[in-house]
Amino acid sequence: MIKKRKIKEASIPTASMADIAFLLLLFFLVATVIDVDTGIGLALPEPIEETDIVPVSRERMAALLVNENGDVLLDGAPISIFQIKNQLKPRIISKIELPANKKLIVSLKTDRKTNYNLYIQTLDQVKLSYFETRDEYSNSNFGRKYNDLDEESQKKVQDKIPIIISLAEPESIKK
Amino acid sequence: MQFEKRRANTKQEIPTASMPDIVFMLLLFFMVTTTLREVDVLVDFKLPEAQAIEKIENKRLVSYVWVGSTGRIQVNDSIVKLEEIQDIMYKKRQELPNVIISMRVDRNQEMGLVTDIQQELRKAYCLRINYSTNIKI
Repeated sequence: MIKKRKIKEASIPTASMADIAFLLLLFFLVATVIDVDTGIGLALPEPIEETDIVPVSRERMAALLVNENGDVLLDGAPISIFQIKNQLKPRIISKIELPANKKLIVSLKTDRKTNYNLYIQTLDQVKLSYFETRDEYSNSNFGRKYNDLDEESQKKVQDKIPIIISLAEPESIKK
Repeated sequence: MQFEKRRANTKQEIPTASMPDIVFMLLLFFMVTTTLREVDVLVDFKLPEAQAIEKIENKRLVSYVWVGSTGRIQVNDSIVKLEEIQDIMYKKRQELPNVIISMRVDRNQEMGLVTDIQQELRKAYCLRINYSTNIKI
């Protein structure tokens, strides 16, 4: 006669599962790169062999020159970096309602020996004046800051206040 | 008169059965969000600081160019010459048409070199660039 044996309940011990999971978790915690990439975005112009010289009225241009001695000149007059924003903002604001081909162009020119940090500081000021103008414009028209607007309104603000920064090639210095 | 000590009959334990589930959930989150460090940076650089900065939304689009304080240029895993940038970047752009080039340039570098690199990028039609900076507080 065959005895029917009762099978004991089979189980996998799961007590150590938490430990294993913790180990994996720790690995990913350590391996994760938290730092976000932040920076100043720009779009370079396309390479063109022949450059057409388009006449631009002086009134439309804001010519910034950062020379090798560390001086910053706006339209030929020396200026301190922190003043750039105050000078540019009224000029951007005055052109909000003008058509697209009359908006302000900021031309940024450097020398070959210009310090990179100084160039970034200048570019930062230019960007900052645009951002602040955009914020103010959206605040008064849509009641919110530019970044909190929906895409459609952002597009409208972009059309009104386009960021046009022209990077001029530095003059080569003869040795 | 005898006071009877009140004692709860239930077990005084925190149930730990669901702990693995919670840990796995955390684990999954980190596994999904992790982008592993891909390259060793071979140049030393100190980024400039700026206020008007933007976040790069899509990390997978980013390709880095490092320029160290001594003027060494690194792309991907190796130090490259200035003339090689165009070829490398052209190939990159074929894989990723809307690649963003993040320029990690040392703050004491001169603009001449930066401009030269930019000219190479223009030739390779990598037109979206980003000057990597730290936030100024």
